[in-house]
Amino acid sequence: MFNRLIFAAAVLASFPVAVHAQAPVTLTFANWADAEAATRPGIQAAIHEFERIHPNIKIESQAISVSEIARQLVLRVRSGNPPDMAELQGNDTILLALTGKLEPLDPYLGAGGTSVFTPQALNGLVRDGKLIALPWTVSPVALWYNKDIMKKAGLDPNHPPATLDELMADLAAIKKAVPDVAGIGIDTTNRVFSMTANWPWMQTFGADPIADDGKGAVSPAMTAYLSWMRSLAQNGYLQPGQKMGDFRPLAAQNKIAFTYDAVLLKGVIQSLNHISDAELDAHWGVTPLPAGPTGKSFTFDSGHNLGIFSGSQHKKEAWEFISFLATSPWGIENYTMKYETSLSPLKKAPSEALEKSLDTPLLQAFITKVMPTLSGAPFGAKFAPASTAVMAGVQQAVTGTMPIADIEKSIQQNMDKD
Amino acid sequence: MKRILQWLLIGLALAWSLAPVYWMVVTSFKDALEATRPVPTFLPEAPTLANYQGLAGGSLPFLSFFVNTTLSCLATAALAMLIATPAAYALSRGRFRLRGPISQGILVFRMLPLVVMLAPLYLMLLAAGLLDSLAGLVVGFTTFGLPFAVWMMKGFIDTVPIEIEEAARVDGYKKWEILVRVVVPLVLPGLLTTATFVFMESWNNLIFPLSLITTLAKQTLPAAIQLSFTGQFKTDWGGMMAASTVTTLPLMVAFFAVQRSMVRGLTGGAVAGA
Amino acid sequence: MPALGVLALVVGYPVLYTAYLSTQRMNLLDTDPSRYIGTRNYVRLFGDPVFWSSLENTAIYTFGSVIVAALFGLSLALLTENLLGWRFRSIRALLLVPWAVPFVVVAFLFRFMFLQDGGVINAVLLRLGAISSPVLWLNDANLALPSTMLTNIWTMTPFFFLLLSAALSSIPIEVIESARIDRAPTWSMVFHIKLPFLRNELLISGLLMVISNVNDFAKIWAMTEGGPGYATTTLVVYVYRLAFGDFNFGYASAIGVVWLVLLLVFASLYLRAIRTA
Repeated sequence: MFNRLIFAAAVLASFPVAVHAQAPVTLTFANWADAEAATRPGIQAAIHEFERIHPNIKIESQAISVSEIARQLVLRVRSGNPPDMAELQGNDTILLALTGKLEPLDPYLGAGGTSVFTPQALNGLVRDGKLIALPWTVSPVALWYNKDIMKKAGLDPNHPPATLDELMADLAAIKKAVPDVAGIGIDTTNRVFSMTANWPWMQTFGADPIADDGKGAVSPAMTAYLSWMRSLAQNGYLQPGQKMGDFRPLAAQNKIAFTYDAVLLKGVIQSLNHISDAELDAHWGVTPLPAGPTGKSFTFDSGHNLGIFSGSQHKKEAWEFISFLATSPWGIENYTMKYETSLSPLKKAPSEALEKSLDTPLLQAFITKVMPTLSGAPFGAKFAPASTAVMAGVQQAVTGTMPIADIEKSIQQNMDKD
Repeated sequence: MKRILQWLLIGLALAWSLAPVYWMVVTSFKDALEATRPVPTFLPEAPTLANYQGLAGGSLPFLSFFVNTTLSCLATAALAMLIATPAAYALSRGRFRLRGPISQGILVFRMLPLVVMLAPLYLMLLAAGLLDSLAGLVVGFTTFGLPFAVWMMKGFIDTVPIEIEEAARVDGYKKWEILVRVVVPLVLPGLLTTATFVFMESWNNLIFPLSLITTLAKQTLPAAIQLSFTGQFKTDWGGMMAASTVTTLPLMVAFFAVQRSMVRGLTGGAVAGA
Repeated sequence: MPALGVLALVVGYPVLYTAYLSTQRMNLLDTDPSRYIGTRNYVRLFGDPVFWSSLENTAIYTFGSVIVAALFGLSLALLTENLLGWRFRSIRALLLVPWAVPFVVVAFLFRFMFLQDGGVINAVLLRLGAISSPVLWLNDANLALPSTMLTNIWTMTPFFFLLLSAALSSIPIEVIESARIDRAPTWSMVFHIKLPFLRNELLISGLLMVISNVNDFAKIWAMTEGGPGYATTTLVVYVYRLAFGDFNFGYASAIGVVWLVLLLVFASLYLRAIRTA
């Protein structure tokens, strides 16, 4: 009897342990890939595949709109309710890092450390010597040019504009010869993303509106940039107030001559008109941003990062998941390239098949010509409020008649509010 | 002559009301490329059901969105009326100080920006463990709809002659019995009108579901439209218009069902509500 | 009484919390806790041109669309007044359709229709020859606010129409008859006989719509995000940007409080005006 009791107690005592070993760990993953019809099947397949390899880990996806995710995550971090992991991008990654609640990822990296990544893919993700988020998809932005339209306007389709003067001359020729197509697509909405997208153009003119000296917005370089934007709109080359994504259907119909867009435009065009890689290369080429007074080209990476929150109880498992998404051959092939049409952050493709799939003129132009021009914007707490002020000014420049000097003063005043 | 002019104007008014809806429906039958042509087509060249098939069989759980929206809005309307009716009754019949300022303050509260309320609401729901649940959403909607409901109900209850209640009191009715058995039946059209308003306010609310719901399967229709069709890649106008048509239809049907009692409710009580 | 208690909690807590935050320097991104700064947020507000232009835009947007929608609704009600039976019922049903379209749908639908290229409004106007080149409805500093108001008027007109046509039908028949015997012309009948009967309905429904419009976020945000520049930035949009773009809750709350005070003043004046009528 007594023995039995001991046996029962032993069984009972071992029971929780056994359950613990078996019980799957559930990780929450806040992301917008799962909210959008275009990427949802891809991210769900990735989660499924991961759960198949790791039967002890369950991923609970939290679908949040891309435009809301920073606001939601900051609110959740501040109220002590963050997810385990999140998809982040651009300034949002830095904002979350500023709250001090993103787990530094260096300890989780293998022997190679961060050296396995393309240096540009790490742009801005290393702060105070620590890796604050894992680069996931790399999607540099370049100037796409439509070869058919250039031909129609009597321009050499193998000689895309290399300077702003050439760009303006080409736009004028196209406007004259092919008046029913749009000239150039540049995002002029008022969002942090559009500020990020316009930053390389400002750099082209040598402008830095949020410079510490308190007069960045009121400067000759800024005047040059804003006047140029205004001339694009006034000549009818630029449709103001549109998102980067709004120009994409036009690109799929060959109704826009130049568009300033990421590598993922390839996937959007092909999903709309179902053309092959070879056909796409016949219609479209990409080139770094035309150089301006500074003589240099700049651009930014519109790709996405993955962060782990320091409040997570299962950081090791979370790392398993995010590194599966970002650096495993399965993740790169079946998500990054297939659904985001983006590049992987790795220096060397993890398989030969992947290496080969990068061998198209378009992707090679991105890798060899555009990637080296990645510069990145000065993200931080000041960047979001400054975006509102600067982009409001850009909108005033492209839609109204307010003198540029007044616009600059108003930008400066609205930035200095804090 | 006068009749011709009248019908001409009526035709114009109908065109004004219906043209946008026509455009919504027509666009929902166009494929992605046709929907974004620089020069639009007035009738679909190659009509397609793809956008609707995308809703029904696509990767997004549209049926859940629909059920969630309907349930949460109905629950909000019911809950708001359950609290608002006695509160309005107390404000209408009570003889305590601050009665006037309270009724006015309630109304003004409704005019506060939603976004200002979001942070305190979020913290409240977090503490109650109601985030990412339809119940939490109902609490949020109710917080927003309640002041308005109280104010409208007070207007309706004010029109009920006090003598009727006094007669009931003489008959030995208790206070809550008077409310339930005498006052409520008399203001029923008003109650329905108010409930419809609360329902529509909730149906139109975008910011609460976007902020309080994180599991896609628990999302509401309007939020899902914003969430799913204006993403990082492009705005899918065809798909969005199909979803919009589906979102609008039930509201239209519900609306026609209650319009008669709304007319009665609105003309009956709101005027005295001042 | 318990119902009033619930009400007080639900209504009072966010208001008090907002008032408290407005005296703090509180940014959600700061790692150090918020601290008391007295009236600094309020002082800054008075020198903030965007606040003042938002206030102006809110007033124009709200009152402009409510007044025009009320006039449209009134015209429709008068226009369909003499129709009877199924004709009236079906026309009324069709004229009410815009009200049943959810705001978020309205916003995206109109943004789609207002597009410079590919928008149906420009396409129709170009075909009719009314304009010679596409108009930038939502992206012109002078047209953006009127365009968003037009959208708003479209959704709101049915409400006024429904209410006013109900009120018209409840005018005692003797009043109309006696005016007809006096051979009063149509216009004078409308102005001197019918309008006075509708006055209260107009004022109350106007107030209801002012209330729901002053807070209108979805439509403006989905159509213009407050742009171009600050042309359509209303107070809600501005507060949203401050609170959830910049995470500056202190300053956003101060604007919320000033707003509350302004509305209190407006509401009590308006209600007094109605009562003395």
